[in-house]
Formats: sequence, structure tokens, C-alpha cells
Amino acid sequence: MAAFFNKFRRPRRLNTPVQKPVNSSGGQNSQRQSGPGHTSQSRTLSSDIEDNLRSLKEIFNQCNDIIFREFLFAQREHIKLALIYIDGLTDKSQVSDQIMRTLSLEVPTATDKAAITKENAWHYIKMRGLCVHQLQESQKLEDVINAILSGDSILLVDGHATALIVGSRGWAARSIEESKTETVVRGPRESFVETLRTNTSMLRRKIKNPNLKIEALQLGEVTKTDIAVIYIKGIASDGLVQEVKNRLSKIKIDAVLESGYIEELIRDHPFSVFPTLSHTDRPDRVAANLLEGRVAIMVDGTPMVLVAPYLFIEAIQTPEDYYEQSFFMSGVRMLRIISMVIALTLPSLYIAIVSFHHEMLPTPLLLSIAAQREAVPFPVFVEALLMELAFEIIREAGIRLPRDVGQAVSIVAALIIGQAAVQAGLVAGATIIVVALTAMASFTVYYSGSFTFRLLRFPLMFLAASFGLFGIVGGVIAMVVHMASLRSFGVPYLAPLGPVITEDLKDSAVRAPWWAMRKRPHLIGQNNPQREAPGMQPRPPQPKNK
Amino acid sequence: MLEGGKISSGQAVFLNITMIIATAMLAVPAIAAVHARQDAWLSMLLATLLALPIAWVTASLGTLFPGKTLVEYTEDILGKWPGKLLGLLYLLWFIHICSIMIREYGNFLIDVFMPETPLIVINILGAALAAYTVKNGLEVLARVNQIFLPIILISVILIFLLALPEMKLERFLPVFEAETVKIFKGAIVPWGWMGEIITFAMLIPFLAQPGQTRHTAVITIPLVGLFFTLLAVASVAVFGPVFSNMNFPVLNAARVINIANFIDRPEPIIMAIWIIGGLLKISIFYYVSVLGFAQWLNLKDYRPLVLPVGVILIALSIAVAENMLELTHFLGNVSPYELLTFELVIPLTLLLIALVRRQGGNRQ
Amino acid sequence: MMKKTICLLVIISLVFPLGGCWSRKELSDLAIVLAAGLDSTPEGNILLTVELARPSALGGSQGGQQIGGGGQQNNVWVISQEGETVMDATRYLEGKVSRHIYWGHTVILVLGEQLAKEGIRKAINFFSRAPHSRETIWVIVARGQARDILNSHSLLENTSAQAAGRMIGAGVGVPVMLKDLSMMLANKGVNPVLPRMELTPSGTPQGPVMYENIPEAQNAQQPSTKIHAEITLTGTAVFDDERLVGWLDYHQTRGLLWLKDKITVGEITVPSPSEPDKKISIDITRGSTRVEPFYDGQNIWFDVQMNLDGALLEQQSTEELTDEPIFTAIENSTARAIEANARSVIELAKYDYGVDVFGFGQAFHRKYKEAWPALKDEWNEAFISADINLKVEAHIRRTGLTTNRLSK
Repeated sequence: MAAFFNKFRRPRRLNTPVQKPVNSSGGQNSQRQSGPGHTSQSRTLSSDIEDNLRSLKEIFNQCNDIIFREFLFAQREHIKLALIYIDGLTDKSQVSDQIMRTLSLEVPTATDKAAITKENAWHYIKMRGLCVHQLQESQKLEDVINAILSGDSILLVDGHATALIVGSRGWAARSIEESKTETVVRGPRESFVETLRTNTSMLRRKIKNPNLKIEALQLGEVTKTDIAVIYIKGIASDGLVQEVKNRLSKIKIDAVLESGYIEELIRDHPFSVFPTLSHTDRPDRVAANLLEGRVAIMVDGTPMVLVAPYLFIEAIQTPEDYYEQSFFMSGVRMLRIISMVIALTLPSLYIAIVSFHHEMLPTPLLLSIAAQREAVPFPVFVEALLMELAFEIIREAGIRLPRDVGQAVSIVAALIIGQAAVQAGLVAGATIIVVALTAMASFTVYYSGSFTFRLLRFPLMFLAASFGLFGIVGGVIAMVVHMASLRSFGVPYLAPLGPVITEDLKDSAVRAPWWAMRKRPHLIGQNNPQREAPGMQPRPPQPKNK
Repeated sequence: MLEGGKISSGQAVFLNITMIIATAMLAVPAIAAVHARQDAWLSMLLATLLALPIAWVTASLGTLFPGKTLVEYTEDILGKWPGKLLGLLYLLWFIHICSIMIREYGNFLIDVFMPETPLIVINILGAALAAYTVKNGLEVLARVNQIFLPIILISVILIFLLALPEMKLERFLPVFEAETVKIFKGAIVPWGWMGEIITFAMLIPFLAQPGQTRHTAVITIPLVGLFFTLLAVASVAVFGPVFSNMNFPVLNAARVINIANFIDRPEPIIMAIWIIGGLLKISIFYYVSVLGFAQWLNLKDYRPLVLPVGVILIALSIAVAENMLELTHFLGNVSPYELLTFELVIPLTLLLIALVRRQGGNRQ
Repeated sequence: MMKKTICLLVIISLVFPLGGCWSRKELSDLAIVLAAGLDSTPEGNILLTVELARPSALGGSQGGQQIGGGGQQNNVWVISQEGETVMDATRYLEGKVSRHIYWGHTVILVLGEQLAKEGIRKAINFFSRAPHSRETIWVIVARGQARDILNSHSLLENTSAQAAGRMIGAGVGVPVMLKDLSMMLANKGVNPVLPRMELTPSGTPQGPVMYENIPEAQNAQQPSTKIHAEITLTGTAVFDDERLVGWLDYHQTRGLLWLKDKITVGEITVPSPSEPDKKISIDITRGSTRVEPFYDGQNIWFDVQMNLDGALLEQQSTEELTDEPIFTAIENSTARAIEANARSVIELAKYDYGVDVFGFGQAFHRKYKEAWPALKDEWNEAFISADINLKVEAHIRRTGLTTNRLSK
């Protein structure tokens, strides 16, 4: 039995010992062990360029896109240079203009020319010969390979064992577009893209402060994905940052293709349906979270950024709440809370009332619903379940549909559900309304947050069919008790409602105006609680005489 | 300490309130009205006054023995074996109350809403939910309570407001018709229920600010008393003194609500909200029993006891009464004596012994 | 641990379908009772009549058929059954009705005249005790058999039960809910009164053939008589504790309402002061009554103060209302009319029926709580010998949209 249990514990993919994360800017770490994909021990380069070229060619055997460009420095016959890069990952014009042209064509003045020898060629190139924006050096083969694969170009100088890593990244990437899953009416429209550097730049534009720390690491044995841990030093608590880094360092997996991989590997309660980490592709949201003291985890290759910790109350908060006027948005928030409740419980309530608590309906409504039910062969529960399943199918299909077929299929779906089912006497009209309203209500929460409610609807429907309203109550209580026992990185999940933190309630069901939001959320921002000076309420000067 | 969690004084007040009112909402107004008729609300006020000393005794004992629960300091006061015996009695008492409550709520549900469902199924489900809550610890219990108790209180106020059209002030007249003796008799059962604050003695060690103990205990009683009085007032105003014959008068009061023919007979919703209250109270007493047993047996963790105690509770809840009448008779006539012994007589004696023997730190 | 949890969850989830969800009742499993009628049979049993709703004819969903012709008639199904008690009759009824009888939406409870004369306590206990039925049912007494009253349909509402319920709730007669009835029966200071309803001819049905159900028409050989009979409120039933002792007609019911401080709608017609053969009608906007008991150890007397706020809404005569003496005269005659009506009802209650139905005993109890226990068991006798002084103040506040008549 212990063995059975242990199967769920250790990941079964790797049997390599621990690897410390590598700083991709050149790396001071030693003791790199080998893993799949690497056939050589950690090696340093040799001074002979032919040697290096040979080993590199061997490593990159059968990689069609790697280019080995050998040329001479400043037309000197005896100073050989080699430029190695991957076609497609580099900015070709930069390679040819900045590197090759400066090195081969732009010849130093006569006096300099005489001074350059094979011995000081490397030094000269490094300090004076290149006009590139980023230049690093390394002696280790590992770093060279990493740099090539990241899009940098490697410049090897004959006679010198240190390679120059020239920044030349540039590849075809998606341009910055509007977020497809989290839209707002008022507020910035840009969303993250798949390139890590572009994403960090978007964050930097929002927070122009050197305390915005971006720490880099690599996860994934095979994929070597770049990860960035981002926080604002002085606002985020050191314990939280340390905890995040600890958990990340424990990850040993072959690939990290999306932030979801990381999320599942570091979350607090792996078996709970409630997420304890949020993810978003909006930079303004990440920036606001960072300013409250949270930590962001960015993964290269996906626009979705993880933010820790995550509390339940954030499901009803959208960025737009903070941009539009607080009175209106408080109303909208309460509407969102009602929608959440509807999305979770409306089908169950319908089943419970129609099956158990008939006295709750006013008599005319009861008779009307009874008339509809006369025509339908199924009990309410089966009917509601079928319709909910049908809607989930439609929803899933809607995501997977090719764009062109979308129109026609949606018409057919509407017809099937709306007209035919009712007229064929399979479903009652009231059930259709209930299902449709539930579906609409579940869309008021951003897509990824709605999974929990969509899933929990079904057990609640079972409970409602067995025990009526009391089954629903029991289910809701069990849910709340479960949520109250969760902690996200040490913060109770239901704060500020669970342990009631009165000063945080101003941003829960309502959104207090900005002049009232003087403190950061209590449990997350306790390092630096004050975010606004007191007395910010606007007090326009009153005219002396009217 | 078996429980690592800490609760704030606000959470403690909420827990105390739930501890007392959750089942009283159902039946207590009727029991008080049997004697005092339309002066039932006066009985409630009297009961509030009488319950204040119990709260004071609880807080005093708690401050005399900081960091120890009731089960632990009885050993200190009376010596090892008599103390252990008294501790056991208290634990049995907690279990008894808990099982009565499970029975009361199960009966209520079955009687009114779902006559075909067997009682034991409801009891098992209720106990299972409570067991899950208890297993998660005191902090989770306090948080869940903080979320739900305001909803419960608001629903009571809502009933009161919505039933206003059916209320007539003259049903209170003549005031003071019942003699003082009758008013006192009517106050005994509410007094007994309000005295359940003694259970707070098991939770005092977990307060994050122990200096607030007296404050917490004493604030609870007026709040609870106000609530009881409100219930009695609502019952009298809607029905007049006949409601002493109703099993669940506040349920009947909720049933007469009819707003614009739309909100008609809303009682399943309101009763569902009260079921939550009942469940929370059961969880509290369940937790206290389990914790107490673990301390009494000197265990390191109370979690293994949750399931066995749960099974005992379920079995006892069926065995405790044959039918509804027996239960009501017990609650009205027998339980006051049992309650007051454990809530007033014994703690008062313990306090006196402790003071005489000059025990404990933090003497005030 | 994991395995145990999974097993537990599987077991729990199997429990639900096993039990078959004991209390679940689909709407199509219910026979919704809209109105219940109780009569007594010669053998001493109770005849229970129920008016069951037929949802397929009522709701009108797309799946329902259209019933041509007498569509109204098929909304309900009226069926009777005899039994020793109400519950006994229900059990037998279940043999006749294919669905579970559901009392949760019953609107009215009709007591037959014969049953009322024998005593109503034995009939109504089921409706107070059973958890499904409401305490807010309207209780009425039928003139004749309750069964006949229920066997009718309404042209305005969907069912006759709803029509009757709305009418009573509007306050035209004495509105009495089951809980009020229980309170009146329990209280020694007042005797119950219940509205009286019967079938009366009420207009001619327009449109296609409708089969009427007036007793005469049923026995006649020719097809429909083209007269429609509907439940009508015609007065009040007076009880002595639980037995029916007499009737008040429609006009006297007004007086009763005045004395019980329950007047909400109504009108008063008085002769015009200057042209006595023409009438003036005053609409009652607000009416209130205060009863003050007095007791000196020997004699009891009551001072009743009635206030009227009215609006003069119809004038058959042509006098000038802006003329102050005329206006005052109208007010005075209104007050006198109310007083005369109330006086006649009191006389009726005292000398013909011998019961205090107005609640004077309750008023006495409220003021003289020490003297009450001695008197309460013979309150009716005390009431008969008590003096009742009536004082009415009538104010006509408004005259509608015109002051004097537009035309002369």
C-alpha cells in the first residue's frame, strides 16, 4: 500500500540527481552533471579553433539549421574567426552588419592594424572591434551550446580558449495583440507574447523602478526553458520570494512547455479543485499584483504568467474594476458575485424547487411549470443533466472549431437546443432558460477561473436531486469548509472573508475609491503596508460666493 | 497543545453566538411561552440577566488557568482522580448535547420537509459534514463560522421584517398578565440554553489575545439575549400566545410571509440557512468533545478520535428519544436541571475551590 | 490513505441512487389541490371534496393541445370522497386519483353548512397539523353543500378557487385565514365569523357553448341555459364557539367589519338632504374603530368610536355641495347610517344569536386582566347584558374630480 501511495509521490520521469538552476548570463555554477541530450562531460574550449569547430559540429550533428561561418579578421590571413549561429533564431542583418562587416571589412587604422597580433586579437575584438549591443564571454562548452540555442552568436577566435557570446537574438514572433481571454472595455489592451524578453519589457514599462527584480532560471532538462521570477523588492515579503524559489528549484522534469506545468508542480494542494495560483496574460494585471506584494513567474514560450499567492476573492476581480469609477464597478462586482452564485447553483436550485419544495413557487408559476412538465418524459434532474452536458459539449466544440465552420455550426446548435428539443417534447422551456442563464453567468468570470464552478455544478445537481435544498446547503458547506482549509503560499484562501480582515473588505464585494485604498492587502503586503498617503480624497476648492 | 490554531476575539464571539443560538431558534420560544404566554419576551430578558454570571464564571476560570481547557484544569482543582472523573462527566455531557442537537435538527428536517427520508440518513450526513469540519481544525471552523453567521443573523432579521404585515401589537396585551413566577419558569429553559457559554471554557486557551477573555464571554450574552428576545417578540406578534403549542413557531412565522404573491412560503430557503447554523453548532460541540477526549487521554493529536466519536454521536442521536413528544418533554422539563448543573453549579463550585486554594496565575 | 478516501467516496456516491431519493416528487407526480370542501354526511362521516388542478389545460405550453369550446371547464377536476376523518377520506381518494395529493397550494377551505352547524373543530385539525398545508388558507362557509360550491368555474380567473381566494383577500367580506380561525376559537373573548359564499347567477357567457353547472340546469333536459354561475360572497356566518348559529347578510357584514376594525373597502349610500328620494354614495377611504371597555365591578359598558374618511363619488341629486350646511348634513347622515348599521348588527348578535363576535371580550381582557378570569367562561351572557355606546365621526374629505355637478 505504501508503494501504491508512493507512486503518486515521486515523479517518474527522471533518475538524475539534482541540478541547480543555471544563470543564463554566463554562469558561475560548477558541477553540472549530464542529462539526456548531452553526451559529453562538461568541457572547456580549446584554443585551437579547429578543435572547437570539430566538437561543435559533432554536437550539432544533423542539425540542419546551424551555420558555421569561418572568416578572417580584418583580412589578416592568420587570424581566423568563426561565427556560429542558428539560422532562424538570429537577426540576420545584425549578424551580417554588426559582426561580419565590422570584423572583416571595417579595418582599423594603419597604426592599429600593425598592433594587432594573433595574441591580442581576441582582446582587441572584445573591447574595440565589435559594435554590438551585448557581449559576454565563456570558456565552457555548456554555455556556448546554450547561447547558440538561445539565438546568440558565438565568435571563436583562433588561438584563444574563450568564446565571445554576441547578442543577436531575433526571430519571428507574434506581435503584441489584445488578450483573447481577458478583455476589458477601459484599460490597456496589450497582452503578453511568447517571448520572455518582450514580456519583461512590458512589465518594465509599467514599473519603472530598479526594485523590480527579475531573476532568471532554467527549468526542464530537455527543453531548458527560460523562467523568470519577478517581484518588487521591499514590497514582496522575502519569505514569499524564497518559498517560490525553493519550490521552483525542486522541479525536475524534462519539459516545461507552459506555465501550467509549473503550476501543477508547485501548488499547495494538489488534489483540490480550487486553484491556488492565478495565471494571466495581461501585463497590467501582473503589475498590479506585483505592487501588492505578490510574485510572478514568467515562462518563455507562453503568454500566461503565474502569480502567487492567489486568493478566492480574486475570481471576481477584473482589472477594469480599478479603472472605471468605483460606484459603478462596485455594482458590477456584486453582479459578478450573483453570477458566480447563479453559475454554481441555479440548475441545482431549479431541480430542488421543482422536485422537493413545490410550495415555494407562486401558484400561477407552479401551474405553468407543471403544464410544461406534463409534456416531458424525464424527471427534472435527468433533463437538467442532459441539457448541461449538451451545453458543455457545445462550449468545448466552440473552442475547437475551425473558424470557418463556426457560423453554420452555431446556428444548428441553437436550433437543436432551442426549437427542436422543446417542440419535440424532450425538454421543458423552463429548463432551457435555466441552462442558458447558468451558461451566461459562468462567462462573467474569466475563462480559466470558471472551471471550478463548472465542475462543481454537477455534484451539486446530484445532491439537489437527492435531498433538495438541504443537499445543496450541505454541498455548499462542504465546499466552504474545504476552501477555508486551503492556504496559498501561507495566506488563507478565503481571506478577507475567512479570517475577517476588516480593512481588506474594501476591495472584496465592493471596490472602494482609490483615495480610500491606502493599505495593501494585509496578509500579502505586510512588508510595506502603506501604498498611498492619507488624505487623498479630492476636495475641490469651494467657491466663496454662489 | 493539541491544536495549533489561534482564533481572534471576534471569531471567538461569533463562535459563542453560534454555539448558543443555532438550535434555540427552533424551539425555545415555544417552550418559554408554555408558562409565560404572551410575556415570553420578558422571560427572555430575564434569562439574559441570569446568564451573565455564568459567562463571568467561565471567563474567571479561564483567566485563572491560562493555556488550559476545562478538562485540564478540573484535574488541577480537584486532584487527579476526582478531576478526571469530573472531566469525563463533562465530556459525556458535551456528547449528550451534541447528539440531542443532531436529533433535533434531523427531526425538524424530516418532520417538516422530507417525511419519507429515514432519520438516520440525515443524521449520518450531518455528522459526516461536521466530522469533515472538525478534522480541519479550529481555525477552519472559526473561519467558516465567520462567513455564515452573519448570513444567518440577517435571515432572521429578514423574517422579522417580512412578517411585519402579519404582526399586531395588541397581541402583546395585556402585558405582565403572567405572574412573576410564571415568567421565571418560562425563563429557565432559555437560561439553560444561554448557559452553554460554558463550552467556551474549552476554547479559551486558543485565543490569540488571552486578555480579551472576559470581554469576549461577557459580550456574547447580551447579543444572544437580544436575539432570543427578538424571536419571542416575533412569535407573539404574529400568533399571539397560542404558539406555545407549535413545535416550531418561528417556522410558522416564516410561513405566513407573502410579499406581492411572489415571495410566498419562502421557508425552505430560510430553513436551509438555519440548517447551516445547526451544523456549525454541532461542529463546535463535536470539536470540543473530540479535543476534550484527546486531552483526557493525553493523546498527541485529536484527529484519530473524530470518526469514533462521530459514530457514537449518530447512534446516540437515534437512541436519545423515541419520538418527537418525548424529545420536547425532555427539553422542556428535564434538560434545564441537567444544563444548569453543568453550567452553573459545578463551575461556580470549581471557581470557589480554586480561589480558596489560591490556585492559578493571573488572578484578578 | 488515498485508497481509503476513494473507497469512501465511491460508497457515499452509491448511497444516493440506491435510496431513490426518498422525498423527491416530480411535479407530474402531484395532484395539486386548489380548494378543499368539507361536508358532513348523515352517518357522521366527513365528505371531502377536492378541486384538483389540471396543468395540461392551464399552462398552455407548445406541447399542450388546444381544447376547443368549453376550454375553461377542463382546468380543474372536482372529486368527492367520504371518510371518517379528513385523512381517512384522503386515503380513499388516493384510490381514485392517479397522483399524490398535494395540499401545499390549497387556496380556500370551504365548510358545508351542515358541518358548520355540527361543529367545525373536528374538521379543521388536519389542516393545522399537516406540514404541507398552509395556515394562510382562507376559510369560508358554504350555504348548502360545499361540494356544490366547488363545482364551478370562474370566467375571470383560471380556477374558481383562485377567484374566491382573491375576492376574500380583497376584504369585501370578513377575511379569515386558518390561523385567524384557530386564534378565534382559542380565545374566549371572541367567537368566530366566517364569510359565506354560494353560487349565484353571474352573467351570461360570451362565446362558444359552455356547459353550465347551476343545479337547475343540470336537471333540465335542454342544453346550456346560457347563464353562468360563479362563487359569490353573500354574507357572513356567525358561530357560537364552533357551531354555526346564524347568518348576516351583505349589508350587515359591513356593520360587522366596522365593529371589528377591519373595514378596508366599501361604500355608504345615504339619501340626499334636500332631495330625499335621490341618493348619494360615499366611498370609504379609511375607517377605524376603537373599543374602550368600562367596568365598575357590576356593570360592563363599551364605548365604541368609529371614524370614517370618505370620498363622495356619486351624487344623484343636484344640490350644491359647496354649500356648507348641505355638506355637513351629508356627513351627519353618513355617520348616522353607519351607526344604524352597526347598531342593528349588535342587536342581532346579542338577541338573536347571543354571541360576541366582535372581539369586545378581547378588549375587555386587555384592560381588565384581573376581572377577566371570572367572566371569561360566561362572556356571552355578560356581553348580552353590556351596554354599547356608539359614536361615529364621518368626514368626507374629497369629492372626486368635480365639486358640484357639472350639469344641472
